[in-house]
Amino acid sequence: MGKSKTADGMDAEYRKQYEAEMAAKKKEEAENRKILEAKKQEHPKEECAPLFYILRVVSLIAFFLMFIPAANPARISGLISRNLSLFTSAISYSSLISGTGRAFRTGWVSESVFIMLYVSAIIVLVGLLGIALGACLSLGNLKLKRLGVVVGLGGSLIAIIGLVLNYVSYVQMQGASNLDKVAPVFPMGFFIFAGASVIAFIVNLILLFALPKADKNMPYEMETRFRLFLMFLPFALLAFVFCYLPLWGWRYAFFDYQAGDVLSMDKFVGFKWFTYLFENDATKKDIVRVMENTLAMSGLGIATSWIPLVFAVFLTEITNKQFKKVVQTFTTIPNFISWILVYTVALAIFSTDGFINTFAMNMGWISSGTNYLMSDSGTWLKMLAWGLWKGTGWSAIIYIAGIAGIDRQLYEAATVDGAGRFQKIWNVTLPGLIPTYMVMLLMAVAGCLSNGLDQYLVFSNAMNKTHMEVLDLYVYNLGIDGGSIPLSTVIGMAKSIVSVILLFIANSISKAVRGESIV
Amino acid sequence: MSDKKNSVNEQTPETVLNQASESAQDTTDYIALREQEKAEYKRQKREDRKREREEEKRQKAHPKYFTITDSNGNEKTIKAPKRKFKLSFGDVIFFIFDYAFFGIFTLSCFFPFYYLLINTISDAELVSKGMINFIPRGINFQNYLALRTVNDLGTSLFVSILRTIIGTALMVFASAFIGYLVTKQEMWHRKFWYRFLVITMYFNAGLIPWYLNMSMLGLTNTFAAYIIPGIVAPYNIILVKTYIESIPAELEESAFIDGASHLRVFQSIIWPLCLPILATIAIFGAVGNWNSFQDSLILMQNSPELYTLQHRLYIYLNTSSNLANVMNQAGSGASAALDYANNGKVIKYTISMVSVIPILLVYPFLQRYFQEGIMLGAVKG
Repeated sequence: MGKSKTADGMDAEYRKQYEAEMAAKKKEEAENRKILEAKKQEHPKEECAPLFYILRVVSLIAFFLMFIPAANPARISGLISRNLSLFTSAISYSSLISGTGRAFRTGWVSESVFIMLYVSAIIVLVGLLGIALGACLSLGNLKLKRLGVVVGLGGSLIAIIGLVLNYVSYVQMQGASNLDKVAPVFPMGFFIFAGASVIAFIVNLILLFALPKADKNMPYEMETRFRLFLMFLPFALLAFVFCYLPLWGWRYAFFDYQAGDVLSMDKFVGFKWFTYLFENDATKKDIVRVMENTLAMSGLGIATSWIPLVFAVFLTEITNKQFKKVVQTFTTIPNFISWILVYTVALAIFSTDGFINTFAMNMGWISSGTNYLMSDSGTWLKMLAWGLWKGTGWSAIIYIAGIAGIDRQLYEAATVDGAGRFQKIWNVTLPGLIPTYMVMLLMAVAGCLSNGLDQYLVFSNAMNKTHMEVLDLYVYNLGIDGGSIPLSTVIGMAKSIVSVILLFIANSISKAVRGESIV
Repeated sequence: MSDKKNSVNEQTPETVLNQASESAQDTTDYIALREQEKAEYKRQKREDRKREREEEKRQKAHPKYFTITDSNGNEKTIKAPKRKFKLSFGDVIFFIFDYAFFGIFTLSCFFPFYYLLINTISDAELVSKGMINFIPRGINFQNYLALRTVNDLGTSLFVSILRTIIGTALMVFASAFIGYLVTKQEMWHRKFWYRFLVITMYFNAGLIPWYLNMSMLGLTNTFAAYIIPGIVAPYNIILVKTYIESIPAELEESAFIDGASHLRVFQSIIWPLCLPILATIAIFGAVGNWNSFQDSLILMQNSPELYTLQHRLYIYLNTSSNLANVMNQAGSGASAALDYANNGKVIKYTISMVSVIPILLVYPFLQRYFQEGIMLGAVKG
């Protein structure tokens, strides 16, 4: 589509010439590509493949555990924070010794132990990175593989040296004068990383002898597919850590957990929190109320989802271009300011010393101001109104573009047939916009449990809280403010699962009706 | 003839490569050709835009004229026939309502900001009496100067600016690069990895697991928590990927045949051609970063020095109307004008203006990019 559009810009002769050239070139290059691809398809069989798989899996696991505080081998004392991962311990000495001020001052333990610990963490980190690098290089050709083995071997050796140092500092920690306070603990992570390093060392050692010698003149090379993959890998890891790893947090739903605790199996409570939700009267009442609020606000949003469409239809009826532009500019701005600023706007207009009150008092209409934001009357409708104020102009853009895409001839034909303005809107414009509207509607239905947190958080106060608490806000209040992490995890879990199911339903409806998926 | 055909069939990969490298040896020719192609593509786009603009200009200048193409394919500008009908009574009523409705709506979007502005630049005494409703009086900028004495505001402003710049830059770069990588058919399990990214848009574990995850990673109370999680943005990656797919594949392929590496192609072909879409996602990213509030609220509970501007504003809004406790007492001499009982109100307004001004200033100029952004989202498919 883009191509034909750009081609229109040239005069016919040039276009013809250009297209012919391009076609010839395309053909030629397609042939070349085919041959090159055929060459690429012949992937040579990998030597010692199982060993390499072990190496890659081990280094991937070790790499992840570097960022997990529970597996920190450097946490050899109760003085070291539980939230410290090996990675953090190795890059930040200040956070490693953040809890040790008193221990150093009173001489329970000498600082040199911690310095040694810090150095050992750095060494382990470097070693692990070496193992990981070796595993990455193992995707290359034989020459690169051998290099990778050497790097991995060196890395695992360094890691082992670091772990030995780590152990030495643990032994020294045991010699501290006040064992109650310093509380030396032997970290579980030590075994994990020691195991990983030793496995990596052995596998690399075997590979060093098992791999055939590479030709001296062989270049260092890697197949394109792996090269591309390695470029992508860091981002895949990021996505995993920030989007998939949180799912691991669902386990808190099955434990009796207080903030700051350590999860251990004796705190496992099974489905206690799930049944608690329905058995505890107070919670049950809360949930019913919160669900009422959530569905009411989402329902109102869905019920008024046609407003942007009407907005767009009537805006296109306006003939004055400057006016149209001004309207579009100003009505879309609220979409780009945060809810907190919307709340400031609300304060400026509706609070006791806001515009409406002061203006009415200046005019002598009222004698004392009322704070409209503090009352609980019509909370749902007020929230709807703010939502519309913020979103209508922006949502309308998509419909405005849709109207611009409707064939002008349809309107001309309708005019010839004697259709009036409203008849044209009803019979030409609306049918053209309905498909877009249906998509928006389905998405809104699928997202009906996620009202968002910001709006309700900033607008809620002691007066209107009962009608303001939607699911997102409730989870926030319960989990972050109230500290009942398991219960709020259960609710969040239920919400996520129901949302995904709703999305699937909406998608299959869309597929059945329009033959197109919306996700 | 048949001989020739046979010889084509006998082409082995090696000969193709040799040919390619041979022709690559007269480098100047080849590079010039590629540059020409690229320039040609750009020229086309430029011409397109130019023509659109000219057409628009002409329409604006002579709305009575319009262009038609006659049967010979020649373009002709003809005069539009005069309107045959006058506006009917119904039309007049319709337009009155239509204009009135949009006028009021626009005013409702404009007035609050105007009201905030005039209250922050007017005489403090009049403001505290509620006398400033429509027209600023006693214009001065004391309130803006007094912001210097508000505790922690400068730090928050700095944090917000820093995260907006760094976060947006990294996000844009990563989106462009990932978007490019996922268009490469050769990538190992490309489809799987693409879906791996896209799925994250439709599913999240929930607020509390997210918070626990961040604290497990040691990112709570660190500036990195603002930056790192935002680097991989699946939605923007889809936008870039779609855009790259619309660029003619020949441009890339010829570069590969010249022996360019993927990084090289990305750097000198994909990146420059993607700038329009990158500008769009950069703007959205910057606005998102500037307005961010939730992560600051939840992750920075123990480090007020890392609060974003929006979070700071939220805190000020929630403190009692008397802001004396957040004002730096030492500097109060400079802010004698602020000793009125409800100066807190004005200070709140002023801080809001500071955080909204960047958007108000930037938006009208970049509106086009914003609107393109939503349209791209609509056709992503």
